[in-house]
Formats: sequence, structure tokens, C-alpha cells
Amino acid sequence: MSDAVTTSASAPRSAGTPRSAWAPRSAWAGFAQAGRHGRPQGEAGVHLTLREGVGLATVIAADGQEASLGRILTDRLGWSLPEIGAAHLVGEQGLIWSGPGQWLAIAETRAGLHGLAQALHGVAAVTDQSDARALVRVSGPDARRALSKGVAIDLHPRAFRAGQVAITAIAHVGAQIWQRDEAPSYDLAVARSFAGSVWTWLSHACAEFGCAVNREPER
Amino acid sequence: MRIRCPYCGERDNGEFSYLGDAAPTRPDGMGAEAAAMHDYVYLRENRAGAHRELWYHGSGCRAWLVVTRDTRTHAIDDVSPARDVARTRRTGEAA
Repeated sequence: MSDAVTTSASAPRSAGTPRSAWAPRSAWAGFAQAGRHGRPQGEAGVHLTLREGVGLATVIAADGQEASLGRILTDRLGWSLPEIGAAHLVGEQGLIWSGPGQWLAIAETRAGLHGLAQALHGVAAVTDQSDARALVRVSGPDARRALSKGVAIDLHPRAFRAGQVAITAIAHVGAQIWQRDEAPSYDLAVARSFAGSVWTWLSHACAEFGCAVNREPER
Repeated sequence: MRIRCPYCGERDNGEFSYLGDAAPTRPDGMGAEAAAMHDYVYLRENRAGAHRELWYHGSGCRAWLVVTRDTRTHAIDDVSPARDVARTRRTGEAA
């Protein structure tokens, strides 16, 4: 496949010099391959978009500082602090609840979170997680049915809607899932070191619906 | 059995791990009597009925919870964040 996400060891290298072991590497490299997988007939029921280069940081409020944190975020960044179980996103940027007094800040690129730690100095601990999570967008007409096979929470719209987030487990792996829109599409974040296990589950869960995998941004 | 986490809502009990009785409080510091320490570490009531116990929502929001569960039926009456319970206990002592 020409746009394989990773270059397998046996694939020929175009340049004469070997790639540095320190070169940035996708969390999904070695596991996910772009292209059509599973049921080959008809439209793909599930689209999996490997999200790369995304800026992520945990924001943990200092004891008793939640109100100040909310104020500073609004005044300086125009962000609002999500209530329990909510994700406040404008486009691809914003905050996602991730536990009592904790949020995940997200931006399209790592540079998008530049200055966050300084802005929140004294009211919250900010820790870069951009390389710590593997992120995938699950969309398409069968997205809900595919995800439902792995999570023990109710994804029906009466229980889980756009703007909501759940922290739960998929195939025994801790996962954070937030719904992006009512299409529905979801973003799924797992610890980077679990990307392989999660991909094995996800690709199998999506196979019966036909699954289109691509990367974002395209490279 | 499901536990209604005050942060995450109703979740399967596989997401939680059990610690035990929420009643014992650790004796204060190095000055604690050996006997008091022994009681704190080893002695537990074995109730048939309402039991306040600590659960950890490890596969969810990672909060410690105090769950009031009937040991005979597994019916759960109340779930509170352990942080709030500890805070109330501290201010109760201070008052």
C-alpha cells in the first residue's frame, strides 16, 4: 500500500542515509495502515482517522483554585472550563473533562498550547501529553455500533451526546472518549503504549462494517 | 453490580477496585500506640447490612469513593467522593 502509515523494515528506503531513531514517529506506526479494511463491499461503515501532531496537555487544578482557573482560561484564552463529563471544543481546540479537577487541553498542533503553563501558573499543573496518547477519530454511519462493542457505557443518544466525554475501558485498556457531533463522530484517546492492543480491537470491531483508515493531517 | 460514580454515572463494577471498610482512621503519627496501630491495620467489623466502604474508580475518573452497600443484597444506598468525606471528617473534628 503506497500510503502505509509506517515503513516496514523490509521496505526499500528512498534516501541513502538511515532514518534517525529519534525521528518523530506516529503512535499508530507499525499497527495501523491507511486504506480500506474489513468488508470490501459498499460504502465504508466506519472511518478511522489517525490524528497526528495534535497538542495535548493535562490541566490539574491546584486545591481550591478551580474558580480562578476557570476565570483565567476565559479571560486569557476565551476557553470555558467544562463541567463534569463535558468537552468544550471550538473546532479542534479546547478542554475535555478528565476527572475531578482535571482536564485535557487539546489543540490542532503542539504549538497551539504554547504558553498555557505560564498562563495557569499557580492555579493549575500543566503537563504536555502530546506524545503520550494515541488519538483516533471514529466516524461514519456505523461508528456508534462499532464502539459499542467495546465499551460498557451506553452510547445511545439518550445517554451520550455531542459534547460529552467518558473515561472508561476498552478491551481492558483505559480510554477517554468524547463525542464530537451527532453524526455521530467520536475521538478516542488511549495511552500511547497501548496503541497496538487498541488497534487490534478497533480494526476487528470495525471489520464487519467496512472500514476506511486515513491519517490527519495527510503527509 | 453497578456503582453510580458521582462523577461518571452508573458504571460496571469491573471498573472499580475494592479497598474495604471506610471507618478506620489512621492513628496519629509516630506517637501512636502499637495496640492502636494493630487495631487500625487488622480489626474490622464483619457487618451483615449497611456497610460504608472504599472503592477506587481506577478504570474511570480515578477517584476514591465511599460506597454504602448492604452486604446481604449488594444494594447501594449512597456513593460519595472520599475527598468530601475526609474533608467533612476533618472539619467535624476541628469544630
